[in-house]
Amino acid sequence: MDFFLCLVFNAILLGCTYTLVAIGFSLFFGVMNVVVFCCGDIAVFGAFSMMGAYAVVYSTGIFEVLPFAVCVMLLLLIGALFCTVLCLCVYRFSIKPFEKASDLMPLLSTIALGTVVKEVLGLFFQPIVNAASTAAATDTAMTVVSGRNPQAFPTLIAPGGSIDLRNIIVIAVTVFLLLALYVFLNKTKTGLSMQAVSQNKELSYMVGINVFKTTVLTFVVGSIMLAIGGFLIGNYQTILSFDDGAMYGVKGFAAAVVGGLRNTFGAVIGGMLLAFVEVFVSGYIPGGTAYASICAFVIVVLFIIFKPEGIIGDKSIEKV
Amino acid sequence: MDETKKNPRSANESLIVVIITVLIFVLALSALKLPFFKSLILIVFCVAGMLVAERRGLMEQLFLLYIRHRKLACLICALCVLAVPMVLATDRYVAHIAVMAVIYAMVCLGLNFQMGSTNMVNFAPAAFMGIGAYSLAVITGKMGMSPWFGMLMAVIFCTIAGLVIGLPTLRTKGYYLSLVTMALQLAFTQLIKNIPYLGGPNGIAGVKTFDLFGLPLYKSYTVFGVKLVPQAPYLLFCLIILGVLIYIAMRVYLSRSGLALNAIAQDEVAADCLGIDVTRHKLFAFVIGSIFCGIGGALYAGLIGFVGPTDFTFARSLVFICMVILGGMDSVMGVVLGAFLLTVITEKLRDFSDYAQLVYALILIVMLIARPCGLLPKRVRNYCLLFNRDLKEVDNHAGSTD
Repeated sequence: MDFFLCLVFNAILLGCTYTLVAIGFSLFFGVMNVVVFCCGDIAVFGAFSMMGAYAVVYSTGIFEVLPFAVCVMLLLLIGALFCTVLCLCVYRFSIKPFEKASDLMPLLSTIALGTVVKEVLGLFFQPIVNAASTAAATDTAMTVVSGRNPQAFPTLIAPGGSIDLRNIIVIAVTVFLLLALYVFLNKTKTGLSMQAVSQNKELSYMVGINVFKTTVLTFVVGSIMLAIGGFLIGNYQTILSFDDGAMYGVKGFAAAVVGGLRNTFGAVIGGMLLAFVEVFVSGYIPGGTAYASICAFVIVVLFIIFKPEGIIGDKSIEKV
Repeated sequence: MDETKKNPRSANESLIVVIITVLIFVLALSALKLPFFKSLILIVFCVAGMLVAERRGLMEQLFLLYIRHRKLACLICALCVLAVPMVLATDRYVAHIAVMAVIYAMVCLGLNFQMGSTNMVNFAPAAFMGIGAYSLAVITGKMGMSPWFGMLMAVIFCTIAGLVIGLPTLRTKGYYLSLVTMALQLAFTQLIKNIPYLGGPNGIAGVKTFDLFGLPLYKSYTVFGVKLVPQAPYLLFCLIILGVLIYIAMRVYLSRSGLALNAIAQDEVAADCLGIDVTRHKLFAFVIGSIFCGIGGALYAGLIGFVGPTDFTFARSLVFICMVILGGMDSVMGVVLGAFLLTVITEKLRDFSDYAQLVYALILIVMLIARPCGLLPKRVRNYCLLFNRDLKEVDNHAGSTD
């Protein structure tokens, strides 16, 4: 029984990370009608920028002056800022040029841009961080090894606390974010205009919504979600590699599809479903760890074949 | 257009075809053989020249010329192909790059059926290639049977895999299809890493290579007093297979099926309404594409003598996609050109191999933004010239554009 609870707990944790990436996917898809395939890479980029910021901030000694929670907030802010800038670059260079072209162009270009982000992280992360924080690397446990190697993510949630406490904070953060997103999308005027744009672009123009501004704003909101998602990924894995983004990207997209690509909160269900399948397969089937991802993929393929609109989601009927 | 005028012009044209074909081969070989920096400059100049020629309409003329003199062109190509191993006789490394370029060209041709003709982005060409390579490896390395049987099994397994992957595509399209193929690619890598019979992360060593009438194809021969590198006969063999595959791809492109695939790419519903059997054609694109990839994979395994999971990853699939886009989607010669260029550039940049993925991704983005049709875009199918119908009108047309 204890083992079972442990698995459930672990699955929820993993599900949280998938959910946030999947929400990024479905927000972007809603407003642009385009799948931004580099969401996973953006999230990992956010995690890495927090890691770099930690090394830099630590060397300045702010951690001794300010309370720990404030410092973590500061790091989150920096990560979110980096992610936002990156997302706007993605929008400018790999989505905007293809607005009138076929759907598959932005798919390819975002994947390519994701690869660029990934490779740049792998190549330049360590030199940049080291140059800025040679002092920090010597007197603390933070030793930054080559960018291609997996990096240890600093414990930013409740250092000294038990692992359980840390995990509960992760879940609480996710729940809080989801609630905040729900309120933002349904109760504020900006959120409602985002929904309007995602439902019908032409009509949004007609009722006087600034579609461009709303689109950019959606990217900002999505990138903040992704940045926090990256933060959670870093905390879940504790060791982060520059190419983790590809797997999280595919899993996040899969979660969004399983939940229903058009429904932002379907992503929660999709993410949890995938995470539960993965964790339970590796927990209960002997030698199943290696096949956990494969099972998740099989489920996704089955969903795509038999219920492409997802768990929640309207059936789209093709009109000529 | 009387007869007396036509003959010398025809002779001139034949001469041009011969010269240009030989020139293409010489350029390709020198791009392969020259050291890093010179080779890159040569490639840049060639590509720039090609783009200028394209803008002036010269490429169009050249294509028409080749269609008109295709028998001669094929003959010259065959002669050049026979000469290639002799020219590359002394350099092992260059011969190796050449074989890799040829194999990648096969895989890209396969991918082109799905991505170029039918607009279904398949993210799993490397997985199909892997299926082919592992079939050969298991049949020869594990069971000790003939590599030709391995090749046959590679084709059969790829057909099955193409069908199995093709079936979900009948119900999906666009992003969903891409997600299915992506999931397949990632699952494939995981699978071969974790199945002990397939060697896990260590792969399978000891793949037997092909032989012809008892003569192994990967061996050093001495022809006309020149000692050839062991890759040379293999290169010849691969080039011949590539020739056959190019012929098949061109026939498919010109056939009703090719037209149907393009129609599906444009608008699936409309194609269905026109009476095109969408199911059959989509499956056809997947199966023939995966067979091409499988043949490429089997030849790859035969060349390296070893297969491992790291050769067939998602990153490799992206490279193939990049090759197809660079060369030109749905353009057979363009795809071959793209495969050749990218392979040569990669190998020449071997010292900077850390940056290879970055370079691919940047090339992909730049191509998508600046020239989505590729370096050698697809042409309008010229059936009049191809089937020698209504030659007079065609001649008039050609005369007026001179």
